[in-house]
Amino acid sequence: MNKSYEELKNVFVDMVDQSAYVELESTAYNYSVLESSLDKPLKMVLLYGKPGTGKSMLLNKLYHDMKAYREIHYFNSPILSEKEFLKSIYEAMSGQEIPTQMRVNFDALLKYCLKLKDKREVVFLLDECQLYSEALMEKIRLLSDTRVVKFVITLHKTDNEDVIAKEHFKTRIWEVIEMSNANEYDMEIYIQKKMIAEGFIDFFNLMKKKHFRYIHSHTKGNFRETNKYLYTLFDIYEYYEKNEPAKISKKKFSTKILEMAAIRLGYINA
Amino acid sequence: MRKLRELENKWLNYKVKRVLLPLVKVSAVYLLGVSGYYAYDKQDTLFASAATPTMHNTKVLGVSMENNSTAKVMQREASAEVIEPVKAMLKKEEVRKEELKSLEKVTLTPVIPVIDMQKEERIKVVKKRASSHKKSSSKKRVASSKRASHLVKAKPNSYLTPKELGKMKQATPSKVNRNTPKEVHKTKKMHFTSTSVNYVEKIKSKFANSNNARDALLLAKLYYKKENFQEAEMWALRANKLNNKLEESWFMFAKSKAKLGKKHEALKILVTYYKKNHSSKAKQLIQAIKGGKL
Repeated sequence: MNKSYEELKNVFVDMVDQSAYVELESTAYNYSVLESSLDKPLKMVLLYGKPGTGKSMLLNKLYHDMKAYREIHYFNSPILSEKEFLKSIYEAMSGQEIPTQMRVNFDALLKYCLKLKDKREVVFLLDECQLYSEALMEKIRLLSDTRVVKFVITLHKTDNEDVIAKEHFKTRIWEVIEMSNANEYDMEIYIQKKMIAEGFIDFFNLMKKKHFRYIHSHTKGNFRETNKYLYTLFDIYEYYEKNEPAKISKKKFSTKILEMAAIRLGYINA
Repeated sequence: MRKLRELENKWLNYKVKRVLLPLVKVSAVYLLGVSGYYAYDKQDTLFASAATPTMHNTKVLGVSMENNSTAKVMQREASAEVIEPVKAMLKKEEVRKEELKSLEKVTLTPVIPVIDMQKEERIKVVKKRASSHKKSSSKKRVASSKRASHLVKAKPNSYLTPKELGKMKQATPSKVNRNTPKEVHKTKKMHFTSTSVNYVEKIKSKFANSNNARDALLLAKLYYKKENFQEAEMWALRANKLNNKLEESWFMFAKSKAKLGKKHEALKILVTYYKKNHSSKAKQLIQAIKGGKL
């Protein structure tokens, strides 16, 4: 049983993994919009929303779903060095590895892309684009103008990032997808799917509407926060199971532990 | 392990805050409410105690002072206890009575629109006498003028205008004046019996149209004069119902009751009225009924 709580805890470890993707009503809609936008002659697609709304997860899912039949590359972490970025683009497109002492000339890369016009269409999925410099973003824009390279970029929705989106991409981005936090129902489905997928249906059945409502009141439906909350919750469960098993019931979900997890995460000022 | 202990303690604090604070708030509000209620209640009892004497009297008299309903008064029996406080009260008022004697003449002004011709004649004669005495000896003049002025003051319902008074001063000789009072005294007393045979009926029809309390009172007076006390009582009650501020209606009702042999009831009514209005006329009537001089 100890192992169970440990396993259950690990279900909610925050990671961008295809297996961790949970299809919800809202995410399914966003995914279909994103998928269809790649078939359109768009230069760029902007995916934006608050942290923890599932942008990276969606990109990851898209990459794994399309990599089999499309030329698609996923940069899950931002490449901040311009030299490294251009090198990575060229390597992905050409399939050739460039020696470490060499660099890619941007003009030469543009010419290379122009040569491939109407022959190939390469999709680059760039996560956390708010970390890219403006100069690099300008280069991304120029590359997208060749219509050989298509970028799907994600941005955190903040005032500054909105400015970047407006100034650099307003003429090029043809599709804008906004990601938002889950509502109470979606959050419950999210937890349910995650737990059932790992075989914790019995434990899920102990949880009631009021518990999901309580979790949602603190996490506001943010997936990252929800994962963090549930991880902490089952961490405490694990502790009691190991040290004071009399304090927890296997027939009833503990509101006390739920509140303790909220205190530990600072949701409640105790 | 230690961290979880701390967490448990924090949770305990949180629960205490969450459960106890609202409880404390609710109980504080409850206590405030209760104390407010008691404070209000105390205030109420203070008022009540202040009002007790009146309430007590009302209970003794068996009459609702608020309503002034004569009908209610009629339904209750007067007890012997009622008379005792009345006696005491009357004794206290004896001294005051003397002072009010002259004033009483003013308050005795008839309420109903029936003119007392006899009184009017007397006033006229007194005035004439006063004017004639001015011309005669100085001692007599002073005495008569004093008397005349006193009487004129006491009887404001003279129908003589200032012009008429002026004429009287000029024309009437003293001899004639001396004789006139004798002639006046010889005049017959005024009765309520009207020259019209159907006077009562006429007033009744007038009342049917007007529904005026004064008409009802007039009918009560007419019946009283005819010694039909039951009808008089009924009409007085009707007048009182229409206008309970009509003093005569109270008196007529009480007088009718007394004449019908219900002296206690009559006294009760009058005492009630006196308590409220301090009418000296009511007091006089009480004494008259008590003394059997009605």
